[in-house]
Amino acid sequence: MLQNAIEVKNLHKAFGDLKAVDGVSFEVAQGEIFSLLGPNGAGKTTTISMLSCLLRPDEGDALVMGHSIKDDQMGVKSVLGVVPQEIALYNDLSARENLTFWGKMYGLRGPALRSRVDEVLEIIGLTERAKDRVGKYSGGMKRRVNIGVALLHKPQVIYMDEPTVGIDPQSRRNILDSVVALKNQGMTVLYTTHYMEEAQELSDHIAIMDIGKVIAYGTNAELVKIVGQMDRITLTINAESGRVLEAWKKVQGVKQVTAQDGTLTVLADDSNQVLPRLFETSALNGVRITTVAIQEPNLEAVFLHLTGKALRD
Amino acid sequence: MIRIFDIAAKDLMQILRDRKTFLFLLIMPIAFTFLFGFAFGGFSKGVSDPRLPVAIINQDGGDLSLRLVNLLENSEVITITQDAAKTLADYEKLLTKGNLAGILIIPTGYTDALLTGSLPPLSLEANITQTAGTTIQSEILAAANRLTSAVQTALIVGQTSSAFGPAFEQALSAWDNPPIRIESTSAVVQTGPKVSSQVAALAQTSPAMMLQFAIAGLLTCGAVIVNERKTRSLQRLLTTATRRSHILLGHYLAIFVLLFAQFLVLMTFGQLFLKVDYFRQPAATLLVAVASSLCIAALGLLIGVFAKNEEQAIAFSLIPMFLFSGLGGAWTPLEYTSATFQAIGHVTPVAWAMDGFKNITVRLLGFESVLVPCAALAGYAVLFFLLAAWRFRRVSE
Ligand SMILES: Nc1ncnc2c1ncn2[C@@H]1O[C@H](COP(=O)(O)OP(=O)(O)O)[C@@H](O)[C@H]1O
Ligand SMILES: [Mg+2]
Repeated sequence: MLQNAIEVKNLHKAFGDLKAVDGVSFEVAQGEIFSLLGPNGAGKTTTISMLSCLLRPDEGDALVMGHSIKDDQMGVKSVLGVVPQEIALYNDLSARENLTFWGKMYGLRGPALRSRVDEVLEIIGLTERAKDRVGKYSGGMKRRVNIGVALLHKPQVIYMDEPTVGIDPQSRRNILDSVVALKNQGMTVLYTTHYMEEAQELSDHIAIMDIGKVIAYGTNAELVKIVGQMDRITLTINAESGRVLEAWKKVQGVKQVTAQDGTLTVLADDSNQVLPRLFETSALNGVRITTVAIQEPNLEAVFLHLTGKALRD
Repeated sequence: MIRIFDIAAKDLMQILRDRKTFLFLLIMPIAFTFLFGFAFGGFSKGVSDPRLPVAIINQDGGDLSLRLVNLLENSEVITITQDAAKTLADYEKLLTKGNLAGILIIPTGYTDALLTGSLPPLSLEANITQTAGTTIQSEILAAANRLTSAVQTALIVGQTSSAFGPAFEQALSAWDNPPIRIESTSAVVQTGPKVSSQVAALAQTSPAMMLQFAIAGLLTCGAVIVNERKTRSLQRLLTTATRRSHILLGHYLAIFVLLFAQFLVLMTFGQLFLKVDYFRQPAATLLVAVASSLCIAALGLLIGVFAKNEEQAIAFSLIPMFLFSGLGGAWTPLEYTSATFQAIGHVTPVAWAMDGFKNITVRLLGFESVLVPCAALAGYAVLFFLLAAWRFRRVSE
């Protein structure tokens, strides 16, 4: 029996001078949810496209359920369900017509197809609206049909590329729950997101990507250990961030200070000791601190620590 | 393999859901053929006048009626007389004496009716021989068709999509600068068809409108292919175990089936109501219909893979519609043009399709007569398909 559902070995893809994917390797065990977490432009979609045989890698290879993406594309496609980042549906057809058509493309026919379409409509909660044209649906409903298509043939491996972008909280909850349900049915899920909370909640393993590279890999707990016991303090002040940035970096106990969009983020060993010193230093510079928030270590802090940037755009 | 049929069935479902499809493929060609069928219904035989003077009574006086007169004034086949002091009765006297070859009446409300999307009839009274009759008739037909096509197409595109502006511009520019002009009266040589001029006129108009609007109908087919690519459903198809070639063939099959069905319906209509004898040689006629459908369907595929968006799909359908119809003898029979023009006309597939149909219905030739036109159409089909396939490989990567 195979150990890994997906084995990615040193994938490279460049668009002109831009190295969109630059030596990515990771392994996904069977039956787990694996997240690629990274900001927009990190190379997540390019990686997924290579793993679904849409793009040819410049270098490297990957095995999906033992099938090589270079030498056995039909083998890869036969075990795969892909939920693309875009809503890849026919807007002038109803949800049922879309699912029926896509089911045929996945090789289903006749009564098996009909009953599976009913099941999937039930799973995505759209049985009542099945006859309406997809073009008339809300963003969240379209996203659910988009996912439903990939479930039709009960694939062994499913890729979901940012399936929750731009939808309401309720649809989002519905989608996250269904991802867990897929895992419980034994599917392997490769999930990409730029939302730290989603990766944290869903994943067995996470690879953090930035600028075409995997910069950290592990379970949520393992990753958080990278920033150790450090606390993350976010502050706003009543003046330009630059007036305190350099001074705060010199404060004892402060590991890192970054400023973005008027918010300062401080990584520190112990917020209780550091905070009074931050207040003191800012007073000396004639600046008032207007808000303070302290957060336990999380993936956001890991990303900040590794790249010096915030994860969100 | 079976996926080719699945994809074709899906495409047809989408295409038939767009009401523009029916407007272009059925309603417009029937309306146009009827319009011209009635407009030129009242012929009687008499003396021939080589200069073919035609009087125009413009009861409408609106913008589009003036355009029509203008188009006819530029004709080298007929000369126009307009005299506000003369009544219809005066003209009719001249007609009986043989001093006039015809009287064209543009009825009140012509401009308004055109602009509201209906097809107002013109009426022509003539007292002429067959040869001259056909000449006047086809000349007025060509001008009216040019005008009405432009207005109708722009109106319909405008009603059903946001692209009124570009469509109207295109329609108008094609109309202002018609790609065809009759060379001279002396070039009018009747090759002696054995059918009456009335039937000959319809045997020209019926297949001409069928072909012209088959090309216009490609805009909805092209849009389906464009949208599949734009929503990235095409990319998704490629992540299933569906072959690229099967996707392309599926789209091709859908357009072919649609156009062939259109041809069958319109030919049956022509046979039953217009007395155009399409089924005199059923096998030959069906062969021409199949070859024409294969050719125009391949053109549709080409439009679908080259157009970047729906507006372009509309433009890429209307441009060949005007160009191929105008040059290919759908507006003016190529028999009435110079040898040079006939040669140029046969660069377009429409000319070959018209030859194929008219060899059966007008020239009353046998089965072999359609083989060369069908081979030419098949050649165009292969050319268009290969271009489309080449482009499809690139856009789907
Ligand atoms: N087809 C393409 N041509 C050129 N550049 C591309 C193409 N696809 C992606 N890129 C670039 O590659 C980088 C990675 O993109 P992508 O894989 O979409 O990132 P992500 O999915 O993580 O947001 C980005 O800088 C993007 O602009
Ligand atoms: Mg992406």
